[in-house]
Amino acid sequence: MDLKLNSYPVPSDYFGVLWGLSGVEDLLILEHGSTGTCSYNVVNYMIMNKQSPKGKLFSSGMDEDDVVMGREEKIVEAVKELDQTYHPQIIALVATGVTSVIGLDLEGIIEEIQPQTKAKLLSFCHGGFAGDYTLGIKEVFRTLVDNVVKEPQAGSPFLVNIIGPTIDSFNNVSDLAELKRMLKLLGAEVNTVFTNHTDVEEIENMTSASLNLVTRDIGLEAANILKERFGIPYIYGLPFGVRGTVEWLKDVAEKLNLNLDRKALAFELERYGFSILELTTHLQSIDHLRAVISCPYDYALGLTKFMQKEWGIDPSLVVLPNIPDDPEFREEFSRLGLSDVLIEPDTATLEEVMARIDPQLIFGNSYDLHIAKKVPIKMHAAFPAFDYVYRFDGTPFVGFRGHAYLTQTFVNLLNQNPEVFRN
Amino acid sequence: MKLDDISLKGKCLRLSEVVEGVALPKTANAQYPGAPCAFRFVAGIIPLIKNSYGLLLGPAICLYNAKLTSNIRSLTSDPRPNNLLFLTYSQDDVIFGFHEKVREAILEVDHKYHPEVLFLVTTCLQEIVGEDFDASIEAIQTEVKARLLVIHTDNFTCEDATPGIENVFISLSELMEPQKVEKNSVNLLGLWTPMARNTELSRLLESAGIKIKNVIPSYCTPKDLTCAPGVSLNIALDRFALKLAEKMNEEFGTEYVYCERPYQPDSTEHWYQKMANALEIDLDTEIKELRRETEELMYQAKGRFSGKSCAISGNPGRTFDLACLLVHLGLEPRVIMLHQMFPGDLSDAKRLLAMGADPLIFRGDNSLQTEKLLSTLKPDICIGHMDSRVLAHLGIESCVLFSSNFKLGFEATNEVLRLLIKGPASFGALKYKEKLLANRVI
Repeated sequence: MDLKLNSYPVPSDYFGVLWGLSGVEDLLILEHGSTGTCSYNVVNYMIMNKQSPKGKLFSSGMDEDDVVMGREEKIVEAVKELDQTYHPQIIALVATGVTSVIGLDLEGIIEEIQPQTKAKLLSFCHGGFAGDYTLGIKEVFRTLVDNVVKEPQAGSPFLVNIIGPTIDSFNNVSDLAELKRMLKLLGAEVNTVFTNHTDVEEIENMTSASLNLVTRDIGLEAANILKERFGIPYIYGLPFGVRGTVEWLKDVAEKLNLNLDRKALAFELERYGFSILELTTHLQSIDHLRAVISCPYDYALGLTKFMQKEWGIDPSLVVLPNIPDDPEFREEFSRLGLSDVLIEPDTATLEEVMARIDPQLIFGNSYDLHIAKKVPIKMHAAFPAFDYVYRFDGTPFVGFRGHAYLTQTFVNLLNQNPEVFRN
Repeated sequence: MKLDDISLKGKCLRLSEVVEGVALPKTANAQYPGAPCAFRFVAGIIPLIKNSYGLLLGPAICLYNAKLTSNIRSLTSDPRPNNLLFLTYSQDDVIFGFHEKVREAILEVDHKYHPEVLFLVTTCLQEIVGEDFDASIEAIQTEVKARLLVIHTDNFTCEDATPGIENVFISLSELMEPQKVEKNSVNLLGLWTPMARNTELSRLLESAGIKIKNVIPSYCTPKDLTCAPGVSLNIALDRFALKLAEKMNEEFGTEYVYCERPYQPDSTEHWYQKMANALEIDLDTEIKELRRETEELMYQAKGRFSGKSCAISGNPGRTFDLACLLVHLGLEPRVIMLHQMFPGDLSDAKRLLAMGADPLIFRGDNSLQTEKLLSTLKPDICIGHMDSRVLAHLGIESCVLFSSNFKLGFEATNEVLRLLIKGPASFGALKYKEKLLANRVI
């Protein structure tokens, strides 16, 4: 039994629903539960880059009597107040554990009050019992695609949607800035980031885009629905390293019938494409380093390729927090020569494997880095990152600037830990 | 979101209109963040008991947030030991029962970590489902070495965290056993700080020959707690700990005095006198000297605040006594954020009214309504916990009294004065930025 002393209880689908919805600016979340649940959420938003759910998340303030009597007046009154006070486009009613257990029918409530409510009402009924947070994010994506996205209107040939980043995505500020910059190099524009700093109008207009760029496996389902329903193609994956970025740009350019300007590419490479060999000496050999990557699938895959192709290091182990939605994930790692992929290991297993590998380098979340106390080179690269802020937009992992940032940071960490060159 | 449409009508009362023991009017139907639940506080208290572990039993909603809270705390000046374990309550457990899983977890914790005490903390969900934990724990107790203590956080039975916190204190009494009473010895109940033995109160009592046997719950062991009834007096410092003092009095005959954290020099002197009388010691000389120092600081501070107004929010101890102190400094309290008036508040509130202050009393548990009120009242300074950026945006000075919570007696008042004068580091820079943004002059 993994009782999570040095690890963390996996956030449930309830959290995924909140995080997936929180990036939609004219949408309000009303959870039906005690204020204690809502109040406690201040904490989990805080560890995601010091964000706050203030003005976004509300509680109906359910109490013991409401549970016993099965009363729904409080949520009805709260919806009315939110609708009339803040005039949001959407109010999402979210069940908590208690609502789910007593079987309160949120959809029934919506049917009853929608006619008197200006905002569109959506319900999320699982209350944290469906599974982990990725299921909640997927539920949000699916619900928004089904209920908000409009039929195609006049589209723009160079307009894209980015699907996947939500407020919990590690390093999203810098990575999104870099992705948008990369697209600008091609002459493409972003309609919406689904769902990060977006709004209902942008989501409604998703069908005006010619291409969807899926950055996270949990966005695949929504991208597939959009492809089947509206014929919008998608490209899946993140651009890591110089090689990965050039390939990604080529793919996007091809799908949009655009060309990557050679001059612009040369400028980028001169400025950000420095190789690790240019920053180290011959006595600073790194190909013997043992590395562990513990990140969600898309980062794990991207960083593995990056380390192999840009730094010449073969990661010893990849740890994934859950089974990826990409059905080919095992083959992907296998093609890279990586057979050692651990999925959601318990703390004891992780400690044991780490002791066996004895890595000099780890990419992971705050808990991984805590377990890996003795590993000299540690880099935050995953959620949850309770002791790490990534609010500045100049620290991308992806794109050309991501290549430069990671390589420079790695070299600086090597120089701070020169013993890694000796053993 | 625009705040302008929030109506505050009917949500504010004048102090002179407030009825003791009655919750203040709710400020919104859709609340954020709302009153915190006891689970959060209980998870914060358990690490203070040495040689113990806490097994937190609940849905991932509660457990994930509890873990993060403890992680965030680990990065502060007051970290708590990592002794919390988490067992997730799933839908299957709701349907098929949680007992067996809990039993296995208890056996594993007992075997692996050898705690002297294992706290089993439940959330409102199990309580709604209605599993009888206490009975099953009694059965498991015979199989393990650790003493098992169940804490029901009772989140749904009250509008705030009080019952759950009181339940922790009361559970500690279950570890206690009758003892031979040692003369001139005390327990301090309700002091939550690693520096508990280094407070002015501790120093003063010790200088008068009083032995402080335990500070509960601050880093005492289960053995300390077993022996806790062996003191001549319990000093209960907050209303949560008062329950434990009452319980110990009932079960072991331990005398107690209730001395809630004061702020004014007069009140602090009476606070010390109350303890001195109960202990039959003389602290007059020390009190006089300490009081003189505080009054000197107050005199120096007075000019700075004369004619200014303030809002008071979320400070421990006697809130209205703090308000009186601020009036003495020349500040006009325009609003006090409060959930409800407790019986202990009454005499301080009367004193404040007698000083000519009749501030608004407002439930501060809804941020947007609170911010709307502050933007309407425009006090010069906000004393307590508030969003720094909002205050900077509104041009209101910020004063966070957090570090004074770790002090007691005149030194706590001195710290309040220091913080009032100094303000939080870099708040000026935040204000500068917000002013530029508000004036659109960039």
